[in-house]
Amino acid sequence: MGESVKHLVNVFSSPTISFLTLFAIFFFIFPPTEWFAAINRRLGIYKLWTGKGGVFIFTVMITGHCLSLTDPNYRAIVLKPDNVPIVLLLFSTVFFLWLSMKQAYANDARLAQGLKPNEYEVPEKRKVLVWPDLVYTELIVMVLCMVGLLVWSIVLQAPLEEPADPSLTPNPSKAPWYFLALQEMLVYFDPWLAGVAFPTVIIVGLMAIPYIDTDRSTSGYFSFQNRKLFISLFLFGWLVLWVYMVIVGTFFRGPGWNFFGPFERWDPHKVAALNNVNLSEIIYVIALKQTLPDNVLVREIWGILLTSFYFMGIPPLLAKFRLKGFFERMGSMKYSWFMFLSLMALSLPIKMILRWSINLKYMIATPWFNI
Amino acid sequence: MVDNTSNTDAPLSRRGFLSWMTVAWVFFAAAMGGFLTMCGRFLFPNVLFEPPSSFKAGFPDQYSPGAVSVDWKGKHRVWIVRTDDRIYAILARCTHLGCTPNWLPNESKFKCPCHGSGFRMSGINFEGPAPRPLERVRIGLAEDGQLLIDKSVTFRQEKGDWENPDSYLMT
Amino acid sequence: MAEEKKNKNPFKSVIWKSIFRVQVPQDRRGRMMQVLNNVFLHLHPVSIPKHAVKVKYTWCMGGLSFFVFLVLTVTGILLMFYYVPTTTRAYTDVIDLAETTPLGIMREIHRWGAHLMVITVWLHMFRVFMTGAYKPPREFNWAIGVILLTLTMLLSFTGYLLPWDQLAIWAITVGSNMAAATPLLGREGPGAALVSIGDINLVTPLSDAKYGLLGEREVRGGALLRFYVFHCIAFPVVIVVFMAVHFWRVRKDGGVSGPL
Repeated sequence: MGESVKHLVNVFSSPTISFLTLFAIFFFIFPPTEWFAAINRRLGIYKLWTGKGGVFIFTVMITGHCLSLTDPNYRAIVLKPDNVPIVLLLFSTVFFLWLSMKQAYANDARLAQGLKPNEYEVPEKRKVLVWPDLVYTELIVMVLCMVGLLVWSIVLQAPLEEPADPSLTPNPSKAPWYFLALQEMLVYFDPWLAGVAFPTVIIVGLMAIPYIDTDRSTSGYFSFQNRKLFISLFLFGWLVLWVYMVIVGTFFRGPGWNFFGPFERWDPHKVAALNNVNLSEIIYVIALKQTLPDNVLVREIWGILLTSFYFMGIPPLLAKFRLKGFFERMGSMKYSWFMFLSLMALSLPIKMILRWSINLKYMIATPWFNI
Repeated sequence: MVDNTSNTDAPLSRRGFLSWMTVAWVFFAAAMGGFLTMCGRFLFPNVLFEPPSSFKAGFPDQYSPGAVSVDWKGKHRVWIVRTDDRIYAILARCTHLGCTPNWLPNESKFKCPCHGSGFRMSGINFEGPAPRPLERVRIGLAEDGQLLIDKSVTFRQEKGDWENPDSYLMT
Repeated sequence: MAEEKKNKNPFKSVIWKSIFRVQVPQDRRGRMMQVLNNVFLHLHPVSIPKHAVKVKYTWCMGGLSFFVFLVLTVTGILLMFYYVPTTTRAYTDVIDLAETTPLGIMREIHRWGAHLMVITVWLHMFRVFMTGAYKPPREFNWAIGVILLTLTMLLSFTGYLLPWDQLAIWAITVGSNMAAATPLLGREGPGAALVSIGDINLVTPLSDAKYGLLGEREVRGGALLRFYVFHCIAFPVVIVVFMAVHFWRVRKDGGVSGPL
């Protein structure tokens, strides 16, 4: 019984299955549009963001974690000192996600009844003195934090591996955990994209958020209903493309950067066939049964067309038909930025799916750059 | 009196003032630009103190055909491969992000532990994210008949360098 | 007897009064003055909205990030007394830190604190997003916050090399090779061949972005010293400047966010 459950979890957590499942259900949990929100209401998913929902989430997480600790392979990876922060990150992220969504839904209910949000105070009564109210809270939180940090430092020794040796790369060899999402992207994109272009887009994109989403009426309190599109997309980027990738990179990537389930032993001899082909080969060699053209431009024209259509064709088409109202409300400048950032974020899952389904290596492969 | 002295000089016209401002700004920008360039250039040292790049790797006979020698990987980061008719030296540096791959004799391939790139015995990439084959380095014979490997000269397959006679040794 | 007992109250003793000019404030005016007249407390306004003192609303994550930064500064300075950033000494110095220094957990506090700071900064950003606190007029402060987030990760990343173990050298090797893949400026990056004068290529292993970052071609002693300087001086100075602007803008942009 236990073994078969473990096997099932191993299979399920492989990136192909778990990522696609997450991708499929994510927008029902955090609905970006009214269509998704209606299904969310019908299925009652919003009940996760209540006291009972929280108890449910944490019971499942903690029991699952404790039961899994009986497995030696799970224990080996989760209790590794350098991985402790990720366990902390996982639990705290889920907790704060629940806390913010609970308050957001409570405020949404108040707004629906025509009340002000919970954070609102009547102007005459709203102020309290910083000394002592805030200063004491800060002091208590600081002391608790320091105690926690000290206990952590006494219990767990900071890891130190073998001395540096340039001729021997450890297997697996990982970046610091907070960059593991980037390292995961490196599997699917060339270094100049995953290591340079994507981080730049992430930083610029984060900075651009307040210049795109300028609606002041939802400022300063937890809410969801009136800004669901932005929250949903932000959470997709933050939870799925960053935190999930960090967890996959930390716990599920073993020797040879192969995938290993949480209860699987890290076998350095595991072989995974990875014969990747470029789009040009798929089109000319496999579909058209020809040889590859010698001219690079002719060879790569399909990839170039598809990529340009993705970034330059999709936004105007959506503006014309599906997102007409949104486009008119936002204006062309904000709309273009919004679409560019969303399409960049979506390009990662798209490339991942293409890699798994048709072993795609590059959309465009030239001697100068690859995409 | 005071009025008189100030009136003897021609008053600085609006246009004249602006052109002086432009000159001043251009000089200021040039000075700042020059200073920042110097600061940036400071980060690029002119001389490097690196270990010597060439070494002697024993006699050709001690390598058996069809095998990959990992003897020099630890010290010099180079594999020496002998095929039926030639010997060449491959730099043990993954072309993806510079990790050191491992030679897996059972599967007859080089496998990089960082992101899973795989290379055949020739150094040609066939799996994983590596964009191009491993680089070969110059190989020749020293006066005493030993192999002489020079890592400062590299040969890339995609540039057609592997046909260069310096990149291999006929046996 | 009663009077003698009263004098034993340490807050009213002559010595206490001689050191501290101000009494523990008992009235509203005194409490306001306590914040206004103190160089450290004046980061705060005198009074704030009720919801802003609730941990449920703020999660305290911004303040905790700052506090952990202070802890890291103190422990970092202490570690610098024993650590020498050379390839021969770095690794053994790190071992000695645990074994030959009193209170051998200084490095632990620094390392786990660094992890903790990354998490608290992330969660702070998450809270600010979820409350819509980045909206006008706070847009620019959000942008500064993103810079602080980036600097936090860079600080953590540069510190990663210093123990000079296998984990360190290979994480930085991979990271610095990404610099070599920068478009135009990196030797492996797209368009590097275009940056040339005639036949002379300007972007070579001795002139590209990776070389400028490490000060040499591979991760060796020069890179170790360079990362040490980035980690201990350059980035902390920059992050302190941005933090000052960040805190100042919180006040100037209307204090902690709240519903209109």
